[in-house]
Amino acid sequence: MAGIGFELRRLLRKNTLIGLVEAYAYAGIIGSGPWVFSIVGILLIGLFSASLVVPSFLVTQFQTSVTYLVAGSLILTGLVQLAFTRFISDRLFEKKREQVLPNLHGLLLIVILAASLLGSLLLFVALPGLGVAYRLLMLAGFVIMCAVWVLTVLLSGMKRYQAIVLLFAGSYALIVVLSLLLRPLGLEGLLGGFVFGNLVLLCGMWLLTVHDFADPGPFLRFDFLRRELAYPTLMAIGFLYNLAVWADKFMFWYFPPTSEPIIGSFRASLIYDLPVFLSYLSIIPGMAVFLVRIETDFVEYYNKFYDAVRGGGSLEFIENMRDEMVYSIQQGLGEIGKIQTLAILTTFVAGPALLDALGISQLYLPLLYVQVIGAGLQVALMAVLNVFFYLDQRRIVLFLCVEFLLLNVLFTAATLWLGAALYGYGFTLAVLLTLASGLVLLSRQLSRLEYETFMLQ
Amino acid sequence: MTFPTADRADIALLLEGTFPYVSGGVSSWVNQIIRAFPEYRFAIVFLGSRREDYGDPKYPLPDNVVHFEAHYLYDDLVSRAEPASRPGNGEAYALIEQMHEHFAPDQPVASALQEFRSVARQMLPGGRLTADDFLYSEASWEMICDHYRRFCTDPSFVDYFWTVRIMHTPLWKLARVAKDLLPVRVLHSVSTGYAGFLGALLHQTRDVPLVLSEHGIYTKERKIDLFKSEWIRDNRNVFQRDPTELSYFRQMWIGFFEWLGRFCYDAADPIVALYEANRLRQVADGAPDGRTQNIPNGIALARFAPLRALRPAEPPPVLCLIGRVVPIKDVKTFIRAMRRVVNRMPAAEGWIAGPEDEDKAYAAECHALVRSLGLENHVRFLGFQKVEDLMPKIGLTILSSISEALPLVILEGYAAGVPTVSTDVGSCRQLVEGLDDADRAIGPSGAIVNIADPQALADAAVALLADGEAWQAASRAGIARVERYYTDRMMFDRYRQVYDGAFARCPEAR
Repeated sequence: MAGIGFELRRLLRKNTLIGLVEAYAYAGIIGSGPWVFSIVGILLIGLFSASLVVPSFLVTQFQTSVTYLVAGSLILTGLVQLAFTRFISDRLFEKKREQVLPNLHGLLLIVILAASLLGSLLLFVALPGLGVAYRLLMLAGFVIMCAVWVLTVLLSGMKRYQAIVLLFAGSYALIVVLSLLLRPLGLEGLLGGFVFGNLVLLCGMWLLTVHDFADPGPFLRFDFLRRELAYPTLMAIGFLYNLAVWADKFMFWYFPPTSEPIIGSFRASLIYDLPVFLSYLSIIPGMAVFLVRIETDFVEYYNKFYDAVRGGGSLEFIENMRDEMVYSIQQGLGEIGKIQTLAILTTFVAGPALLDALGISQLYLPLLYVQVIGAGLQVALMAVLNVFFYLDQRRIVLFLCVEFLLLNVLFTAATLWLGAALYGYGFTLAVLLTLASGLVLLSRQLSRLEYETFMLQ
Repeated sequence: MTFPTADRADIALLLEGTFPYVSGGVSSWVNQIIRAFPEYRFAIVFLGSRREDYGDPKYPLPDNVVHFEAHYLYDDLVSRAEPASRPGNGEAYALIEQMHEHFAPDQPVASALQEFRSVARQMLPGGRLTADDFLYSEASWEMICDHYRRFCTDPSFVDYFWTVRIMHTPLWKLARVAKDLLPVRVLHSVSTGYAGFLGALLHQTRDVPLVLSEHGIYTKERKIDLFKSEWIRDNRNVFQRDPTELSYFRQMWIGFFEWLGRFCYDAADPIVALYEANRLRQVADGAPDGRTQNIPNGIALARFAPLRALRPAEPPPVLCLIGRVVPIKDVKTFIRAMRRVVNRMPAAEGWIAGPEDEDKAYAAECHALVRSLGLENHVRFLGFQKVEDLMPKIGLTILSSISEALPLVILEGYAAGVPTVSTDVGSCRQLVEGLDDADRAIGPSGAIVNIADPQALADAAVALLADGEAWQAASRAGIARVERYYTDRMMFDRYRQVYDGAFARCPEAR
């Protein structure tokens, strides 16, 4: 997300309180944009609909369907998100802009084909006997969302954060409005609004990309499939990370005591889901701090470090820049810790009132608390992973993702077995341990940075 | 191109950047020596920088070369192993540290050499000091950082790092070459430097006698190389730079080759110089006095003596520089001198006979200089020529070099009755004016001028060419001098003694 650094530095350079607030607000929106809008949008639809004529189980069915769409599409496209971002940035580094659009089309073709095949299969396996309209809408939604994520990572790679956020905001506003208008049609109406909104989002993003990369040339290319340009570790990382993030949710959905069937074979966990989604809203400030620190201070010293290495700086200067990198990471993690602590405390104080306002039972409170802590730790973990990406330590990231996935499955299973009092602790503990080992590895990596840079490359 | 290989040989010649791939004085000499001893089987170990720096061999291999192998020191500098982090052998690095401490100027040379020998032993395949450790280990990294902090006066760490790497990595390659070399009875290195290191290492591990013949002085020639090489960076800014002080990286290279030289002198016996000034310099650089001797180059008189009759009665007013068109020959000074010569003797011509492909940029500058001085009709670039064809057509051989050893061109000219005007470098004064009293009594066989002094060069040449009497006297002196001191017979006899002595000391003979 290097491009965001310039904008943030411009805001920070104003050196005023307003500038600072602007910078953090900007970073917060950019950093957490897409999925905050999705969560808020779904919650809003539920809120507006539940208070009116639509039977509440229809709303639950709608929310569950959308959740499965989001989870499924994220995990499937996780395979290509990071690898394709890297492919595009490599091509841009080589100044081969004309290759971007044809390869995007190639990837979209493959993703759409794969999503259609997998989706069609699931229509029969997971959603047998349901209405044709619903099943077709689910299939369309799945395919469209997969394409949306591909375009989102591409545009993120292009540093078009503002455009992404605006498109997401607009589309989800449209989705909320459409859903309200189509409510009388029941579940199909709500879902239809959602699918149409995403289609608008997809078209908007595609038009933006075409506008940016309109070069005469072939329409389709598959260079990203070439062995020397592909990054299998990045494919594994993207897939495993998304799988790890969703693993505990799936386990709660399919563990009978904590879940109930909603529609077809889709199940949901009423006690687990709402606290989880609410808790993700609490990480907006953490994401803001993370972006400001990593994308401004860290990247600045990161660039100076490698410039000094290549450009003949003294060893002392190189080491100083390394120390500054370390310091900015410490600062960043420290500030994430502070701000998330504040967010957590706020949740503790305001939690009961919030749940009341949303009409959710106070029984969810303990789970909400522990989930907020887990979500906060996840911000720190993302920061650490991001630093590893900057240092191009893909193997370490892969290791951490595997660790995260295994621990999450293991601990969540343990909490399910041990009983309701421990629900939520599995995920939080998994994030905590992964973060801890990530920090140990990061510390080791940074202390050997010059050695590895000079001797092993 | 296929080369002969054998499973044993009598003499291994260790050749760095010369025969058979590079033409020049040293290569001709090597060719001469090999052909002079058809009774010995020679193995040649050629050491080059990178494969692409050399074209096809410039000399056919004589029949008694039974084995040939070429190694390129800067090719695949990094070992084929995938770089992987490793701690490195702590004891071995302590040994290296100790050795470098002993290299300090205030330490006795003998103990430093002892350390050097034990480190060199560990560099052999199977030793504790591996190339992979040097390239990838933490111990190696620590040492590089530590030495940079303590000694390096140039700010650029990346240049220091690569200088250390590029300088030392060939030593491991040589250690492998030493290990794999076929059995031989005598080693003969024609320079110190990397080839000398290889010779000393072989001597140390196999106890085979090492003969060292130095034509130039390696460290000195490397110094000239290093002075003009652009790729050795100097990153000091205007405040850090002291113009009287060499860039730190040049000093590093010079110090490195000085120690390789000492290591080689320590192992070699005899240590042969071409002429007295060089022998004294070897001694000053660490060669034990008792093991040094002079064996001057010699030429085959029979090849050149008949040429005397082919020359017209009046010497042709042609000044000829025979040599490669490279900066060390200072061809530009010759061209500038030609302007003055032509002013005073409009019929005079300057010929430059030698290949121009080694330093194309310099050759282009020389051509441009000829044009800018308006000498197009008086200075001719002939490319490579057979010396026999040239000698009857010229009146003087010219050497404007800034560095020479014992140039064969002067002797060949003498044998053909052509006097010389040369700069005062290497053995040239000895060749023109004579060494001892008997030699001096023969009289001058030409003239000696200072380097980079076109005016003096021109005046000396005109003085000889315009005065028939003086020219004839110099011509006669040259013939007498070459016949008495510089024939190939004498050189071969001396080397026969050297080889006989060495064979007597080889392990099989004992």
